[in-house]
Amino acid sequence: MRMANFRSSYGARRLALGVFLSVLLGFFLLPHQLQTLFQEIGGPVGWVLSWPIRLVASVQGGIGETWSHYVALQDVEDENRQLRKELELLQGQNSQLREAASATDRLTALLEFKAQALPTMIAAQVIGRDTGNWYRTILLNKGSADGIQADMGVVTSAGVVGRVVKTTMATAVVLLVSDPNNAIAGLIQRTRDEGIVEGTTPGLARLKYIPLLSNVRAGDRVVTSGLVGGFPRGLAIGTITTIGKEEGALFQSAELRPEVDVNRVEEVLVIQSPYVPGEDGKSDGPLPKAKP
Amino acid sequence: MKIVVYACAVAALVAVHTTVLPYISVWGVKPDIGLVAVCLIGLLSGELEGLVVGLFVGWAMSLFSATDLAASMVAKGSVGFLAGLAGRQVAQVTPLVLVSGLVVASTLSSLMTIWSLKPNDQQDIWWMIRTILMPQACFDAVVGGLCYWLIWSRLNLDRLAEGREF
Repeated sequence: MRMANFRSSYGARRLALGVFLSVLLGFFLLPHQLQTLFQEIGGPVGWVLSWPIRLVASVQGGIGETWSHYVALQDVEDENRQLRKELELLQGQNSQLREAASATDRLTALLEFKAQALPTMIAAQVIGRDTGNWYRTILLNKGSADGIQADMGVVTSAGVVGRVVKTTMATAVVLLVSDPNNAIAGLIQRTRDEGIVEGTTPGLARLKYIPLLSNVRAGDRVVTSGLVGGFPRGLAIGTITTIGKEEGALFQSAELRPEVDVNRVEEVLVIQSPYVPGEDGKSDGPLPKAKP
Repeated sequence: MKIVVYACAVAALVAVHTTVLPYISVWGVKPDIGLVAVCLIGLLSGELEGLVVGLFVGWAMSLFSATDLAASMVAKGSVGFLAGLAGRQVAQVTPLVLVSGLVVASTLSSLMTIWSLKPNDQQDIWWMIRTILMPQACFDAVVGGLCYWLIWSRLNLDRLAEGREF
């Protein structure tokens, strides 16, 4: 057993009480100013603290890689056979899609559509998860020094991952699409009905505010609408699994299975500037480029 | 010297929290080892150190989380300060006292966070208490108890700590 603390002097106790009351009072009276101040100071502090995180993450990555490459190789042959079958199927589909794409190109040129500029993207690695239990977030190894800011969209090749909510100089916190506090403007690809995609408590997502007259059905794909937020139009968010219609409700809602498995994501792209149509209809977006 | 030790401890805590703890979470809840550390420091070193370390841990952890900065700092700082106050009322820290104290501290800290959150229609307060607050309080108590057992019973650092006044 350990003797508890008796060594605090009276002066130290008074000082502690004073500091405690000052901090409390400060956060009550000047919440925004103090938050901004601490966030500003947090930039370089975050850069320093990001190094041990990177170190532990790289060691962890090395162990995980060794495990997956050399130890966990059971069922690889079956998986390989299955993948070969899928590849053949996809190759067939790919040639059909190429044909469709070339037809679309010709028609687009005929209709004199303005080409949509691709967004500028920054590649980043996932180095950690949220330090608390209250939000579902991931931590990226790029921050404000790399041009990442709050509210930027984060995607993978499969679809939407989430959006940046906080940055330090060397890291960025991304609120995942499966977090109930996240909201992304979505669009049902088949019916063109718009709604808001938010996360659910079990870790999936749902599309809210679908018009009652919409003939949405399970299996429909939901993409970003591009109206608000840091995402261009047309990025995959998820597939509708079930539809909920409550009696007397003004809208219907649908459960989604997110396109990206956010628990396994390792590399992401941060959308620095999504396509924004100008007043004359021309793209304000920059030329396509990707920073390594 | 003590500042360097605490700064290194905070850096290690943040690194472990973001990278290792997500893999040992139970039902999606992981222990708050920052809170456990602040509680132990407050209990054994007094209100001032508990408060200052608590504020710093809360700040550092909020930089890598979507949690509100003020709520995180105030919650951890309060826990360190209250642990320091409690430390003066307790003659000897037994595992039972420590585990009970950690349950109370974790509950208080989570309640402060819940108070600062704006829950949406899916997340009512009872849901948060049932799925996050209660499991985390139990988890924190277990981890704190294990840390206590490991440090003071197995590694026998008690004698070292008594002999080295910072």
